[in-house]
Amino acid sequence: MKEKKSLLKNPSFQSILTSLICIVLGLFIGFIVLLMINPAGAGVAIKTILLNFLTRASAAAQMKALGNTLAKTAPLLMCALSICFCYKVGLFNIGAPGQYEAGACIGLYAALAWHCNWVICLLLAAIAGAVVGSISGALKAYRNVNEVISGIMLNWIMLYLTNMVLSGKKVKDPASPYTIKLASGNKSALIPTAGLNKLFANNTTVTIAIPLAILFAILIWMILSKTKFGYELRATGFNKEAAKYAGMKEKQNIIVTLAIGGALAGIGAAFLFLTGYQEWSTTQTSVPGMGFNGIAATFLGGLHPIGTIFASFFIQSITDGGALINKSVYPSQISDLISSIIIYLCGFVLFFKFAINNWISKKDKGGPNVNDVPVKDDAAKAEGGEK
Amino acid sequence: MDAPYAIEMVNITKRFPGIIANDNITLQLKRGEIHALLGENGAGKSTLMSVLFGLYQAEEGVIKKDGKEVKINNPNDANDLGIGMVHQHFKLVQCFTVLENIILGVESTKNGILQMDEARAKVKALSEKYGLQVDPDAKIEDITVGMQQRTEILKMLFRDNEILIFDEPTAVLTPQEIEELMEIMKNLRAEGKSILFITHKLNEIKAVADRVTVLRRGKYIGTVDVANTSKEEMSRMMVGRDVNMVVDKTPAKPKDVILKVENMTVASKMHSNNAVKNVSFEVHEGEIVCIAGIDGNGQTEFVYGLTGMEPLVDGKITLCGEDITKESIRKRSKLLSHIPEDRHKHGLVLDYPLEYNMVLQRYYQPEFTSKAGFLKRGEIRAYSERLEKEFDVRSGQGPITIARAMSGGNQQKAIIAREVDKDHKLLVAVQPTRGLDVGAIEGVHKQLIAERDEGRAVLLISLELEEVMNVPDRILVMYEGEIVGELDPKKTTVEELGLYMAGAKRNVTIDANTAEIEPSEVVDTAARKEEA
Amino acid sequence: MVLLLQYTIIFASVLCLVALGGCFSEHSGVINLGLEGIMVMGALGGAVTMFLLPAGSAKIVIVLATTLAAILVGMLFSCLLAVACINFKADQTLIGTAMNLLATAAATVFVRAMNTSINPDNVSTSIQYIQPKKAFLKYFGKFEFNWFMLMAVILLIVSYIVLYKTRFGLRLMACGENPQAADSVGINVYKMRWAGVLISGFLGGLGGIVYITAGVSEWKFEMGVAGFGFLALAVMIFGQWKPTNIALAALLFGLFRALSNVYTGIPFLAAMNIPSTVYNMLPYIISLIVLAFTSKNSRAPKAEGIPYDKGMR
Repeated sequence: MKEKKSLLKNPSFQSILTSLICIVLGLFIGFIVLLMINPAGAGVAIKTILLNFLTRASAAAQMKALGNTLAKTAPLLMCALSICFCYKVGLFNIGAPGQYEAGACIGLYAALAWHCNWVICLLLAAIAGAVVGSISGALKAYRNVNEVISGIMLNWIMLYLTNMVLSGKKVKDPASPYTIKLASGNKSALIPTAGLNKLFANNTTVTIAIPLAILFAILIWMILSKTKFGYELRATGFNKEAAKYAGMKEKQNIIVTLAIGGALAGIGAAFLFLTGYQEWSTTQTSVPGMGFNGIAATFLGGLHPIGTIFASFFIQSITDGGALINKSVYPSQISDLISSIIIYLCGFVLFFKFAINNWISKKDKGGPNVNDVPVKDDAAKAEGGEK
Repeated sequence: MDAPYAIEMVNITKRFPGIIANDNITLQLKRGEIHALLGENGAGKSTLMSVLFGLYQAEEGVIKKDGKEVKINNPNDANDLGIGMVHQHFKLVQCFTVLENIILGVESTKNGILQMDEARAKVKALSEKYGLQVDPDAKIEDITVGMQQRTEILKMLFRDNEILIFDEPTAVLTPQEIEELMEIMKNLRAEGKSILFITHKLNEIKAVADRVTVLRRGKYIGTVDVANTSKEEMSRMMVGRDVNMVVDKTPAKPKDVILKVENMTVASKMHSNNAVKNVSFEVHEGEIVCIAGIDGNGQTEFVYGLTGMEPLVDGKITLCGEDITKESIRKRSKLLSHIPEDRHKHGLVLDYPLEYNMVLQRYYQPEFTSKAGFLKRGEIRAYSERLEKEFDVRSGQGPITIARAMSGGNQQKAIIAREVDKDHKLLVAVQPTRGLDVGAIEGVHKQLIAERDEGRAVLLISLELEEVMNVPDRILVMYEGEIVGELDPKKTTVEELGLYMAGAKRNVTIDANTAEIEPSEVVDTAARKEEA
Repeated sequence: MVLLLQYTIIFASVLCLVALGGCFSEHSGVINLGLEGIMVMGALGGAVTMFLLPAGSAKIVIVLATTLAAILVGMLFSCLLAVACINFKADQTLIGTAMNLLATAAATVFVRAMNTSINPDNVSTSIQYIQPKKAFLKYFGKFEFNWFMLMAVILLIVSYIVLYKTRFGLRLMACGENPQAADSVGINVYKMRWAGVLISGFLGGLGGIVYITAGVSEWKFEMGVAGFGFLALAVMIFGQWKPTNIALAALLFGLFRALSNVYTGIPFLAAMNIPSTVYNMLPYIISLIVLAFTSKNSRAPKAEGIPYDKGMR
């Protein structure tokens, strides 16, 4: 019993537990919706969503499907890392979709109009994302504009700008609203597969983008937890006043953080569009969901870069799983519904953790533990003396 | 009218974990009197008023209105009983007009539409009756602090409150505004209102109050008639005579000037006046100088200005011969260590482990960061362990304990360890013993004296009179943003110090180094008027 | 030209309604980023009602039932924001974003399930309402008048009065500016914030149905409402949280939106050959510039986005 309690007290365990609570509740609600639509196949449907590629008949088909899921997990992970990184510094990078769009815009333009190779395209996408991110950062640092509002505005500005740029003659397929396929337009801009495709039943969208994204996750984790830079950024995120007291440059840190977040989202776009998985539709009228799904993966991953890897895979997997269910009975968007419910529930994570801690301290009987109550409790008030 | 008291609080006891904020306190407010509640910071005044206002429930004791026992569970109950309060921080909506703020919560409507004309007429009548000049249609953000306060008073009068509480109302006012407020309070008394006046300024009590109840460290000291009691006596009641804490130290041997502050002026965030006005002094190697004063007299802003957290409006700061007036916080911290006033807000990153907090001022130095920019975790761990041992910082899990989970005393010890251990010539310690127990306080004082004896300069900012009397070698008293007196702790008394801190006395020193001081009575308009 | 005027007015009506919704929510102290989602849900409620009403229903019945359904569904959906952000003090940005995703997903699932249940071969995510939509229209020459335009004007006036002339409005704004002050005079901050969010659900839901009936007779719910909720947010900011300014901002942004639809029909604009995306982009760019120059003394409610905790006085 004692061990169980100390495990419950462990913050990492708590994060995992609360994420699982969100997932289970989200799936449960999704299941109820399925039951309401048609009770007969609901069990099979929810199983299909969860198992995704494993429901395919042959091993080869399974690997191919897994490859597809992984190929889309990489960009999602990058967007999630972008949001996660900024959140650790106390900034809500809701502008990730806009930075993603900028990355797609410049990455594809460089590939198709300038015939650059994939490395250059990737770098340009990162720079484009960083520029958009730092606009939000500069507005926040110098003009006191909330990064959420500027992020939302930039999402739409970049959407239309990207549509405009990618409608150019050199980059758009004249016969469709999409950009020219890289395979025919510029093969050198495709991210190399380095043989990875062979592992996944020759699925050519499986490229080194996938290991690179995981490397980025580890890199972000290292920067945040092991470096002086990360130490500063996290201190700023936890307690801006203390960071100022310790002589850190708050404004500069805000801009740099959002620039890095932007670069990550920009690379995310490159990881999707430079694999040839899909093309940019120049007539789209809504901000791509990739950035918003990144928010889901971030919070589900317990705001930890490594947790984000698993969360991104999970979100992408149920999205793809949704596409496999019996379409004549159930809508495939059911998995979007499940993941959006999960994001909504993530809003209650702090409450869940508080409830767990309350429960522990009640069990401990020793009265409120300093560890468990927020700073604003009576004890802190009394200690602070009269004000 | 058999019960002479408008409101009575009898034998009130209120405990917080670890602290008895109010210990058997009795406060009786007569109808139509101005009753002052006097006490130092932490004496329990605010807690007592929170109990009266229903924000806290007392464990023991009763509250009586007109002799009948009443229960006050929340501010609405207090309002219903006719109790109104002008809070220290005004509860006003900045973008609303004066009138809108006054009627908020008690609006009258006709067919759902607000009836402003009636209310405006009533407010105008009230302003004239009590001499509260204020334009009802001006926006709060456009009017002076004094007018905002009048709005708060009108708010109480508009609700026909009979018992008016003023919580340190003069803290944010200019001298002229204070004088006007005193007149207003007298008008209110003349109209039969009962007033509770919370303050620690003796001149103001002398100027308007009929009786005064004194609290000290949560305990009831007594209630006396103001007319028959001298300021010295009140001061003694407030601070207590028995300053028995003895700090072991040898006489100071001041040497070169380390810190020189010239004409420092710092703006206030609370009001449009400057919080620090034209302050000049020096601190030498090998001495402890204390800036004493009651909370809110500009000490916080002074420290912000000195350490670089706020820009100066005017003035010059020289540290070890170098002009640092415009230098960054980081640059200043090379020679200056700073134990901040608020350890949760500034001193610690509460969600970081102890070891990370131990290097908060030094993490970027080659000792703790490699050339590639990686933190040297082993070194940080070892350093933290060394400091924990040397300074007896106790925590559940050693270096990896999250700072939030540590006790207040140990958090403070960690900050002191960090600041003292790092290279510095000047230590700025702001209320370093706040919230600590007796044993820990002694340890901190020893640390400060050790600093001095090692040849560093120490600038102590303190509100605790015992600390002020025992630790420093020189005392500078700050009152309303100015240095109003320089005292020698060996030659002065607590009563005298109290008079300076309460603004009842001031001396002007021409040379900051002169030990000889000639105290002289200040001209206090309000006090003089009352005597005339 | 008539077409341009007609589109401008109908788009302005949408923006005005939704921005007023955001305005009420923010004046109570809750940032409502979920307006887009609320619009989708309102649109769904209205569209389903039109779809289900028996053919040949009286015009007045169609108008009232559709409007009411949109409002009700919008208000219901806004409860998600209120519960999470007021009672559980959740992050308002996160919840708002989740609501936007949730609304589109839920609406799509619902419409598809409905279509499939009627006809197993119908897997579309669209609802058609050609016939019932006519109930809302009245022609003045070439100008297609929509009853919703009148509703928008009436609600604009009502909003102005409620916000500035009533006890409720005064208390609501006090909660968004300084909840501690409101609490100290006995106002229940939680209740007022709930009211603010519910009103935003009311107006947002209504705005949703107006939007999808504005130009077309069929709506594909996969598309959400194509960012109109965010555009309304921009209108609210550009209008500096004041109903009259919001109305003007809505007209301006509505004009841009209308231009992007019909500029090819206007010779001199067509000659300038500016891509429609530019007209789409302009409102956001203008808002961003306005923000950059006004944020330091913005009229945004001071306590917005900060959960109110009675314990912290």
